[in-house]
Amino acid sequence: MSITSTTLAATVPVTQPSITNDMEAINRRILDRRAANRSLPPYRAALIPEATELLASYFERVRPGAKVDGVRRVGGGASKEQFFFGLTDADGSKQQYLLRMDPRSAITETDREREFILLEAMAGYVPVPAAAWIDPNGSHFPQPAAIMKVVRGVTKPSGSGVKVSGLGTYLGEELRVKLRDQFLDLLIKIHAYDFRARPLSGYEVPDSDTKQAARWTTNYWRELWHIDEGETRPIFALAEQWLADNMPDCPPENLALTHGDYRTGNYLFDEESGEITALLDWELARIGDFHEDLGWVLMQIFGTMIDGTFRASDLFGREEFITEYERRSGRTVNRATLHYYDVLSSYKCYIICAANGLAAARSQHNHQDVLLTFLGTATAIFAGDLVRLLSHGEPA
Amino acid sequence: MTPNVDERIASVIRSLSEVILPHLPPEASLAQEQAHLCIGHLQILRAQIDKVPAFEREELDDALGVARELSTKVTGAEHTKAAVTAINAAVAASDGSDVRGERKRVLQAIDTLVKAVSTDGSPEGKSAASRLILQHEAARSLKDRKWFAPFGFDAL
Repeated sequence: MSITSTTLAATVPVTQPSITNDMEAINRRILDRRAANRSLPPYRAALIPEATELLASYFERVRPGAKVDGVRRVGGGASKEQFFFGLTDADGSKQQYLLRMDPRSAITETDREREFILLEAMAGYVPVPAAAWIDPNGSHFPQPAAIMKVVRGVTKPSGSGVKVSGLGTYLGEELRVKLRDQFLDLLIKIHAYDFRARPLSGYEVPDSDTKQAARWTTNYWRELWHIDEGETRPIFALAEQWLADNMPDCPPENLALTHGDYRTGNYLFDEESGEITALLDWELARIGDFHEDLGWVLMQIFGTMIDGTFRASDLFGREEFITEYERRSGRTVNRATLHYYDVLSSYKCYIICAANGLAAARSQHNHQDVLLTFLGTATAIFAGDLVRLLSHGEPA
Repeated sequence: MTPNVDERIASVIRSLSEVILPHLPPEASLAQEQAHLCIGHLQILRAQIDKVPAFEREELDDALGVARELSTKVTGAEHTKAAVTAINAAVAASDGSDVRGERKRVLQAIDTLVKAVSTDGSPEGKSAASRLILQHEAARSLKDRKWFAPFGFDAL
């Protein structure tokens, strides 16, 4: 049986019923699609010959005379089916591309066209892969897909070993020195993007009241949890209610374009020079409170803990990151608001691992079920994070 | 049981590690990654499989413990009273015959209580609910983190 937003609304206890459906229109569509897809049959990962044929027939139509070769899977990552391939034009010029295609369900439920729009807008503003083609509804590919140019660089130092999804990547002192300023300055630049002067198609601005930025994001994640029928536990229930009861105000000057998944593992860098060559994985980007990105960056799971010292993305200590962000951006970090987004970040991670990933695996809707169940074991960490954060209370 | 579970899992791990994985072509990155993950999963399952029933029984006991405390210390009006009644029913229905199902029903009843307390719980009831849950989960989440530490995500 498929679950619709209507049946969910009837079963989800809520604090403020009139506003629990308040969210961006695109997120409503994403949730409805997620719910509708629950009853679909299992999904099978594309084989290389199948991906090659799909790409060849696609370019016959959009780029007659171009030839596809060298199709191979991209390792790592936990959400999309990704393939590198070469495309040779009729004049003999060749370019490497990346096909990024949704599985039927993934650990994050997002929209390829929305990400594509953002990549186009960010081109020349911050380093991003050049967006090339989009099949937003899966009219040619079996699922929605986007194609972008390949950018040189790595997501982790060579020889750093296998780390699932780039979690806990250790960069080392030399790279840390080279990367940290860029990492922070690029985040500040994203937050400085003038979305009112250069609007992003489909990206709505949560400015009808000062709670809307927090409300949109909590509404979206809470409903995602219920669609995927996550198994509750007391700390999760407490956190969910705390988030509903303690939404911070977001004054207009705090509204910013947020990346949504900003961390080491989601940018490419040149291993020799340490130059960041591309910021990746923009699928969770939205206009919201800039504190939401800070809370995410500061998640312990995305950093390193060595000899008792925590470094966010292995680049900055927590306080160092906050004070440097304030100094360089000219913004003021509200500690109580950041605390809210710290809690929200752990809540989101809990949902991603305990509900979204496991639901995709149970439904056999993903090409990496075994990875999703592996990642699901991190759920206990986020339960522990929620205990720690809610026990400490709100800072002054 | 002959062969026993340990012998069967061990043989699958060896086959994956020493026969299947080395024969995967270098370009089959997804298959290689997943083979490694399968081996890792199986090694941890092999180490934990005999302890699973006791772990799940303890999970249920912990859930029952906090549920009983919540039902006696959380007070409030209509919604809260109904949620407390539901918790008592879930606790009373637990006889250990369906450990996973019973735990799920108890946790769901606690979830409902948390929302009910927010709606019409007394100030003391709200405070008690938060305190009891945080106390319970401080211990419970630590047990869970230790259980899943072999997966390598946790810097415990």
